[in-house]
Amino acid sequence: MRRASRGWIIVILVALLLSIIFLTPTFLGDKLPGWWGKVFPQKGLRLGLDLRGGIYLLLGVRAEKAIEHELSNMKELMNEELANEKVLPKSFQNSDKTLTISFFSKSDLEKAAKLESNYKEITDIRENDLSLSFTLKDQYIKELQRRAIDQVKETIDNRINEFGVVEPSIQRAGADRILIQVPGATESDRERIINIIRRAAVLEFKIVKDSGPTQETLLAKYNVTTPEELLSQALRLHPNDPSDIKSENEKFFITESDAQVTGQYLSDARLRFDEYGRPAVGFSFRGEGASKFGKLTGDNIGNRLAIVLDGTIKSAPVIQERISSQGRITGNFTLDEAKDLALVLRSGALPVPVDVEQEQTVGPSLGSDSIEKGKLSIIVGGIAVVLFMIVFYRLQGMIANIALALNMLFIMGFLSSFGVTLTLPGIAGLVLTMGMAVDGNIIIFERIKEELRVGKSPFAAIDAGYERSLWTVLDANITTLLTALILFWFGTGPIKGFAVTLSIGIVSTIFSNVVVARIITYLIYGERKVEALSI
Amino acid sequence: MDLIKPNTHIDFVEKMKKAFLISLGLILIGIISLIYHKGPNWGVEFVGGTEVHIKFTKDIRSDEIRSTLSSSGYSAESVQQLGLPKDNEYLIRFSPKVVAFEQIQDFQGKLAGIFNSVVGEGGANILRIDYIGPKVGKELIEKAIISIILGWVGILLYLMIRFKFEFALGAVIALIHDVLITLGAISITDKEFTLTIVAALLTVIGYSVNDTIIIFDRIRENLKKVTKISFRQLVNESVNQTLSRTILTVITVFLVLLALFFLGGSVIHDFAFALIVGVVTGTYSSIFIAGAFVIYWRYKRGVLT
Repeated sequence: MRRASRGWIIVILVALLLSIIFLTPTFLGDKLPGWWGKVFPQKGLRLGLDLRGGIYLLLGVRAEKAIEHELSNMKELMNEELANEKVLPKSFQNSDKTLTISFFSKSDLEKAAKLESNYKEITDIRENDLSLSFTLKDQYIKELQRRAIDQVKETIDNRINEFGVVEPSIQRAGADRILIQVPGATESDRERIINIIRRAAVLEFKIVKDSGPTQETLLAKYNVTTPEELLSQALRLHPNDPSDIKSENEKFFITESDAQVTGQYLSDARLRFDEYGRPAVGFSFRGEGASKFGKLTGDNIGNRLAIVLDGTIKSAPVIQERISSQGRITGNFTLDEAKDLALVLRSGALPVPVDVEQEQTVGPSLGSDSIEKGKLSIIVGGIAVVLFMIVFYRLQGMIANIALALNMLFIMGFLSSFGVTLTLPGIAGLVLTMGMAVDGNIIIFERIKEELRVGKSPFAAIDAGYERSLWTVLDANITTLLTALILFWFGTGPIKGFAVTLSIGIVSTIFSNVVVARIITYLIYGERKVEALSI
Repeated sequence: MDLIKPNTHIDFVEKMKKAFLISLGLILIGIISLIYHKGPNWGVEFVGGTEVHIKFTKDIRSDEIRSTLSSSGYSAESVQQLGLPKDNEYLIRFSPKVVAFEQIQDFQGKLAGIFNSVVGEGGANILRIDYIGPKVGKELIEKAIISIILGWVGILLYLMIRFKFEFALGAVIALIHDVLITLGAISITDKEFTLTIVAALLTVIGYSVNDTIIIFDRIRENLKKVTKISFRQLVNESVNQTLSRTILTVITVFLVLLALFFLGGSVIHDFAFALIVGVVTGTYSSIFIAGAFVIYWRYKRGVLT
């Protein structure tokens, strides 16, 4: 290809045009003319959390808890079904992923065997002597866990969106993790955001049976030693909210074990104020929830109703009259706490608990400082490389520099068009790419020099230089690309940003080395007779 | 302009034995340093805990930071200077026993105040707080080691397709050499071994092999020519013929790395340091180690003339 191929010139021009279009928003920002957004993309380069500041949270979802919940649900359902058949089971036992029912007699067991058909889809059923055991199928367990994680993600999604932050990102990360990024969140938002996300928000309404100053005295009253043993008496022990203890005798409460009404029936929850003007959370029921709550309160006038949030009693007012649609949770809330509690109650409970496995809070000053330093390194590094190439290769060096400038434009254009997030290591990757990108040119130019030395004509030397170096340039770049891809697999957050810029940089560099620079060379020399190359 | 005069004839092969001893010495020093420091100084992302990146407006020494912290009941696991000394930026790591996740908010509020007596009101700015749970850390160490090994294996496989086996192996041995020396340098300078350093090591693996490829390509090309010289001489010729581009390509990368090292800011500083060591070592090993291994391999198998 002695003459610049028209096809390649068009490819280069199109790439250039696209890059400029995609990069304009990044450089002009708010100064974009109004019509631009109607025709062209408006979003510029996206900055990562390490450059913008914000909160990065990696949550581990305890999906295995979904099994426990499923087994206890099954137990309740079976209890009802057995009651319909007039069978009184001797005991239920659940361990790991198996629920075992023991019966008093063989005939009971036979009646219960009808249950099998209801559960054979999801469990493996085994019959022993006087008991039936249901073991959840592995496939079903996977399905349960998947559903739990999806639900956790959706709930957290709702909560964060309601909290009102700009451009939060909530993604699945691996099998059982959720990655949450809240850009721009400040340190003062941190605690609130984390609490909103992590709060299980399981709200239960239960009738109070007893209260006492310590756990031990209360348990002794019921002839048990651990809170778990209370369950066989259909009772449960709850600590009172420490900030809300009104008398010594109310540090612990005993309530019914199962809640007749839970937060899942809520139709709304809002910030309200109590009669003293203190922040509280008002909630309301509709439909089924309202009738259940009405029944619970109507049947228990004069008793105390415990409002239990995540296992702790928030308050335990005496029921004065039948209430069905409205209620209020009071306590020692600050305004923000009440607001946030209303928010999490509205968005529903987390089906399984989550743990914070990793957290990063980046202050805004670190980010802007990093961007400034990144720009400076790009400029200084760029000038150094450009000067170096001119000093060593003169006109050919200039050609390499033009190719390098185009290369950088292509890379940045690509990054913004595909919405890749630019991180601090990503900027370092760009700087590094500038240094590596001219490597290909150097390999080729050195080869051209060699070809000239053995007496080839300028054009023959150029052709030989480009053709004989092609594989060296390819090999060198492919190996680097290989490690960049491994890094992409390995890395999280900022490191992934580095792997992405490096990978895109390498691909664009190959193009710039073996096509762009060569085309420019042909364009410059044209059809002229060239006596000596400036190299 | 020529960096290396054409027709340069330096007897590199003759110097390879010496180079081998030097490399061995450097690696040993690194290993001794690693043993002395009880392994790499793992960053918080690997061992778990809470890490605070803090910038002081006044000069402060790391032992002052340590003593101020421990007198307030927060003894730091490590105090690490970040970036250049004039930046006065430090990474302070606490074990989960000292600062658990639940206490971060409280701790953050107290932290700036703790340093008031040393650097004055508002003299300490918290730039970033990281918390890593124990589970993530363990997984990351495994993943980091696997990815480095994967880097070596990947390049071995790729080069086996492109070159004969002994060349591929020689290149990878040179890369292992580069990573070991870089690790040693990080340990000697007592820098923290972070995710960013792993990224730097992988980049070193991918990039350092370039110079080796340039030389091997030339060896292969020269092997096709009919010559009367021995393989040993041929390797030496090839190294000499490609010497200028081997060095020039590294100089451009070296230039941008210097820019990152001095101007890139505290977070990038160590990353640039690891890359500088790795890239320079990579060029050296391309010239002295990779080819030497191929000669040695052929000599052992009697294919050397």
